Amino acid sequence: MRVLCCLDGTNVEAVSKATEMLLAPQSLTLGILYVIDTGPRRDIEHTRERFLRPPGPPGPREHEMQQAEHAAAEDILNEALRQLPNAETFQRQGRPEREIVNVAAEWQADLVIICSRAEYGGKNAIGPRSVGHIARFVLDHAPCPVLMVRPLTREQFPIAR
Amino acid sequence: MFQYFPIPEFWKTLLASLVGVLTLVGIMTRPFRWNEAVIAMAGAAVLLLLGLISPADAFLTLIRDWNTFLFFLGMMGLSALAEAAGLFDWLAVQAARFAGKSAARLFLNVFLLGSLISMVLSNDATALILTPIVYVLVTKLRLPVLPYLFACTFIADTASFLLPVSNPINIIILSRFPLDLLTFLRLLFLPSLVVIGINIAIFFLLYRKQLKGVFDIQRLPSAEQAIKHKAFFRYTCCVLAVIAFAYVIASAIQLPLSLVALSGAVLLLIGALFWRRTSLRQTASRISWSIFGFIAGMFIVVRAIEDTGLTTMFGNWLIQLSGGTSFGAVMVGTAGAALGTNLINNVPMAVVMISALAGIQHAPPVIQHGFIAATMFGCDLGPNLTTVGSLATVLWLLILRQRNVDVSGLDYFKVGVVVTPLMLLAGALTIWLLL
Repeated sequence: MRVLCCLDGTNVEAVSKATEMLLAPQSLTLGILYVIDTGPRRDIEHTRERFLRPPGPPGPREHEMQQAEHAAAEDILNEALRQLPNAETFQRQGRPEREIVNVAAEWQADLVIICSRAEYGGKNAIGPRSVGHIARFVLDHAPCPVLMVRPLTREQFPIAR
Repeated sequence: MFQYFPIPEFWKTLLASLVGVLTLVGIMTRPFRWNEAVIAMAGAAVLLLLGLISPADAFLTLIRDWNTFLFFLGMMGLSALAEAAGLFDWLAVQAARFAGKSAARLFLNVFLLGSLISMVLSNDATALILTPIVYVLVTKLRLPVLPYLFACTFIADTASFLLPVSNPINIIILSRFPLDLLTFLRLLFLPSLVVIGINIAIFFLLYRKQLKGVFDIQRLPSAEQAIKHKAFFRYTCCVLAVIAFAYVIASAIQLPLSLVALSGAVLLLIGALFWRRTSLRQTASRISWSIFGFIAGMFIVVRAIEDTGLTTMFGNWLIQLSGGTSFGAVMVGTAGAALGTNLINNVPMAVVMISALAGIQHAPPVIQHGFIAATMFGCDLGPNLTTVGSLATVLWLLILRQRNVDVSGLDYFKVGVVVTPLMLLAGALTIWLLL
């Protein structure tokens, strides 16, 4: 693996510490986290409010929505477990960016791995706004180093200097 | 009170206006999260207690608008019972099946399904019943939730002037300014198609990156599983088909549409009770009774303001602004209704507009029609600008964001600000061309 360390005149120690961490995979403890985003549910409640209805859809519908969310979350975590067996699983509910940094702090993570944005069939091209708001928030607020995973796009280089 | 202690007319006008404005501000800001119905009814109660509107006048105002009240009741009943039959769930699964695994085609199908439901069962059914169902569907299919959610909420309003029954606002306005079906369709059907087309096109452009994927249909239950009771389901489909047909006939011969909606709801209720799919209590709990209090309160408050001459002044100002041309009537009607609807909810705005436009009855038919169609169009589509409810809600969300509390509604606002002005302009121009 070739790792490029970018210096700014003040960060040699921090960078060398990070490389030590990468070189010590024997002490690797993995945690996998999936957050159910509650934002869309709040949007549904706002819509109900506009139509002069009390918040929250009627009981059975609410239950069905929760069930679908939890089933999808479990599915996603189980799929990940097949690739990363022995990982500790975390399932949270709330605003994903906030839950991620909080879990990282609570679990005392040494590193957070996150992708730049969710990929729904399209290709994750480089360029402005290619980092989604969740990844951006995590980069800004994480309590530890963050490894932001991006696809390898060497063919698009060099970009204009 | 002032009926017994006469006070000068000027003070009466001032007090009535003050109570009216306070009520509208209350509805806009909802202090202490009070229910809008409580605020509207409190406003009406204060006006009655102060004698600024007589009980007889208030009673007559409510009786005159019986069609609106009964339509709301029938519409909510129809939707609730169709939901109990599993119709919406079944339609959503079918939309997914017809999409052939493509996320983009499912997106289009959600728009088409939303348009169909809004057209027959009104925008309430799309926004309140279809939205959570689509949420469950796309969550199960592991597709991005927000584009589909926004598609439902937006199309609810965008498709809400295909027919008079597609939005209760149309009924409020048409009860006061009747339009025959052909005129309604001539003025609003094509603009509906235009704005639906714009809505779909812009949404595809905005969410193109998130709609490139495919989904695994196996994650969904079969369409048959959505049907809770086969006989009741078939019966519901038949009743709704008859109702859709009856709506068109009733609109054509100017029969009150509330009677059709209510008859349909009663027929579905009889079926539901017969097959034991629901109870009276359950059905009643699915109807939002506070809406009736809200509308009643608003009708009384606006009637009292009407007596002060304020709404007439507002109406005259609108007519003056239009410059006596059909183009002006459509543009001013659309802009006024759309802005007002975002300031106060669209139900109060429709009530204010029908009172304000009382003066157009002496105007030439082309101006009258321009104002009526534009008012329906603006009040129906306007809420898409700030889908979260009103400008007050948006301002509140902005304040919350500064406090780092809650920003979800702002996503709606960002999309609404891009799409809605374009739709309003294109729709208004189409109405004007068709006048």
